[in-house]
Amino acid sequence: MGKIIVCDGNEAAAWGVALARPDMVAVYPITPQSSLAEYISQFVADGIIKADLMDVEGEHSVLSVLQGACLAGARTFTASCGQGLAFMFEPYFRTPPLRLPIVMSIVTRDGITPQCVWGGQQDAMTVREAGWIHMFCETCQEVLDTVIMAYKIAEDRGIMLPVNVNHDGNYLSYGVERVELPDHEEVDAFLGEKNINWHVALDPERPMGVDPLTGGAGGEGPALFVRYRKGLCKAMQNALEVIPAVHREWGERFGRFHAPLIEEYRIDGAEYAIVTIGSMTGAGKDAVDLAREKGERVGLIKIKTFRPFPLAALCSVLSKVKAVGVVDRSVSFGWNAGPVFQEILSALYHLEKRIPALSFIGGLAGADITVDHFMRVIETTGKALKGEVPSDTVWLNGPEENR
Amino acid sequence: MTGNGYRTIAFYPDRCDGCNLCVEACAEHHAGSKEAVHSRIRVCGDEEGRYTGIALCRQCSMPRCAMNCPAGALSKDPETGVVCWDEEKCVGCLLCTLTCPYGGIVFNAASGRVMKCDFCGGRPACVEACTRGALELKRGADLYNAWGDLEDLVVPGISACLGCNSELLLRHTLRRIGPNVVLATPPGCIAGVGAVGVNGKTAVKTPVFHPLLTNTASMLAGARRYYNRIGRDVTMLALGGDGGTADVGFQSLSGAAERGEQMIYICVDNEGYMNTGVQRSGTTPFGAWTSTTPVGSVLRGKTREAKPLPLLMVMHNCEYVATACTAFMEDYYEKLEKAIEASKKGMAYIHVFSPCPTGWRFPPGKLIEAGRKAVQTNIVPLWEFELKTGRIRFTYPVDDPLPVQEYLSLIGKFRHLDEEQIRLIQEQTERKIQILKAFTKEGRDGDETRVEGVGS
Repeated sequence: MGKIIVCDGNEAAAWGVALARPDMVAVYPITPQSSLAEYISQFVADGIIKADLMDVEGEHSVLSVLQGACLAGARTFTASCGQGLAFMFEPYFRTPPLRLPIVMSIVTRDGITPQCVWGGQQDAMTVREAGWIHMFCETCQEVLDTVIMAYKIAEDRGIMLPVNVNHDGNYLSYGVERVELPDHEEVDAFLGEKNINWHVALDPERPMGVDPLTGGAGGEGPALFVRYRKGLCKAMQNALEVIPAVHREWGERFGRFHAPLIEEYRIDGAEYAIVTIGSMTGAGKDAVDLAREKGERVGLIKIKTFRPFPLAALCSVLSKVKAVGVVDRSVSFGWNAGPVFQEILSALYHLEKRIPALSFIGGLAGADITVDHFMRVIETTGKALKGEVPSDTVWLNGPEENR
Repeated sequence: MTGNGYRTIAFYPDRCDGCNLCVEACAEHHAGSKEAVHSRIRVCGDEEGRYTGIALCRQCSMPRCAMNCPAGALSKDPETGVVCWDEEKCVGCLLCTLTCPYGGIVFNAASGRVMKCDFCGGRPACVEACTRGALELKRGADLYNAWGDLEDLVVPGISACLGCNSELLLRHTLRRIGPNVVLATPPGCIAGVGAVGVNGKTAVKTPVFHPLLTNTASMLAGARRYYNRIGRDVTMLALGGDGGTADVGFQSLSGAAERGEQMIYICVDNEGYMNTGVQRSGTTPFGAWTSTTPVGSVLRGKTREAKPLPLLMVMHNCEYVATACTAFMEDYYEKLEKAIEASKKGMAYIHVFSPCPTGWRFPPGKLIEAGRKAVQTNIVPLWEFELKTGRIRFTYPVDDPLPVQEYLSLIGKFRHLDEEQIRLIQEQTERKIQILKAFTKEGRDGDETRVEGVGS
């Protein structure tokens, strides 16, 4: 049996790493991820994580050294966010096509400028098309459990993709909760044998050219390139099967069931729903409970897995309601809306009947999204049932004149 | 008659113990007696009793003896390559012995005429008699090319430009380092010539990876750390251009050097982005034309000097740092040896001067001459730094450097230089040598005397 500890999300992620027994960890600090880098370093110093620590000169090299290590056969971990993630972007972009099962926490943070070191999800949303699997956690316990599950997902032979386990900066990075620490041997049994580089390798015993130039105007190049792209797409779709299976096994072994792709909360009998992602979900559920007490027939859909996008699961639940309000913690510029809202809009296209969808943006720059905010979301979305649909995105923390 | 691959007899003085079996075998084969007077081969020693050479016909490609013979008694056999001697025609003038630089033609007092090696019809008795392997019959081209026997780990038919120094370097470097290696070739000429391959086909027989232009050293560091962790000794080798090394890749290189990552990092410095259309880089020298430092009525090539990358790597406390040039291949091989050893402890960095016929505007046939002149003018001083000694040592000290113009005039990218620019380059060159000398033992100890063998 494991033991109970009290910790914040960054420490929970570090414990998840410790239990997954990586070979190499690389870190570079950035707020609000810094204490995660510190926990990792301390755990290595104390022998809790028996990995080689590479404390390198920047996020660009953080992911680069892990790519080298992974290509040689190492199980790896790192964490970043915000500007660090932006600086990491060049190697970040090529990790999925190299099919390297690297696990990385994004302790989500809002984008600059203006200068801002506080929470928001602009970083993780900005990199959503790079080909990484993205999962967003709601609690510290979910952070710990998902970091471990991420290795099993990433290293699945039908997937072989890097995984981002995202948790909200400030709220989960520093918010302290009761967390159950699983038993190390049980985690070993759950993860099984490491499965890293059977497909690509930098190994003199099986010499090969890794990542040769591919493409060009004529010949087989473009077709070869498309094969790689389609392979990655296929792996993403495979993950829609594997992620639930891994979560199910986790639940059976450890007694904690987390919703793998989406979570439905009080959807039964709901006329309309709100959609949340990340740590805001707790306040959202409380608001739904309050609204239900008042007789509002509202439910909540939490998005856990954002890439691959759980289209079928979402369509199944959205088809049950008559209106939906989506709360984003980031901005999709040029759409004057949130990115999750955009994705939900796309999903709605697949329904037989068109329903109204509303975009809310809140929690930028570390702002709270409180139960009060969600009551407004619920109220506004409820009015959509009667045809009162706002013409524009509703900014929950916006200046007074916008409310 | 050059270029036919004629054979010759090679001599390895370090294997010779002076037993004279070769001399006896030669005499016996030709005269039926073991007396040295009948032998056409002589073993020569120095005053300390070391055997330093042989006096023996080398079967020269263009034999001066034959050119000088007034009687037509000496001639090169175009089939076998043997310089034949016709006793009937010989008049005993000995002019041939005066022209042979190897002492290869011997005066036979008994006959009053000369005699010389005839390869014993293809199986030289001396070579067969030698028990130490000090004599070897081999093609002239292989005479001093022990590396020619090593496997070429690069396939034929790669897509390098005519006269490309990168190809020369790639082949020789991989030969010496061997197959137990992971090669990283970031975007640049090494990758461009096909090292990492195109559309699933690769040009080298070792594991090869195409890192980003920016992360070569980091990527290799990660792989090496993991191999260390699982107890495998694999050499990590980077062959990067100056752009991926001095410019956009410098951060990861600097970080890896600071952490003492175990690898050999070789910068193939062709002084610009040759692979993308001859743009300037941080190591493009002052005054050079490139497509982004053009020559016009206002601008006259690059306005700043090159970044002193090898010295920067010295200051990073690398285990080993050296400069090299393919015109001095023996020197390069010696430095590779040291780099391999050093990379077991930390970073070994070699900065290779790499003239580019395509981008620098000079004929491919002048590649080696360009390298040689660069060294002889002190524009490219050859030196090495070892952390254990903590000082720089010149490996090819240039006593009296040629004026820089001797090098500059070879290269098209300097064609526009005016007298003032040339004077500045001369000054820069001399100043850099003075800085280097300050890092030598003599310079560091405050000795005012000139560093031996180095031009001022």
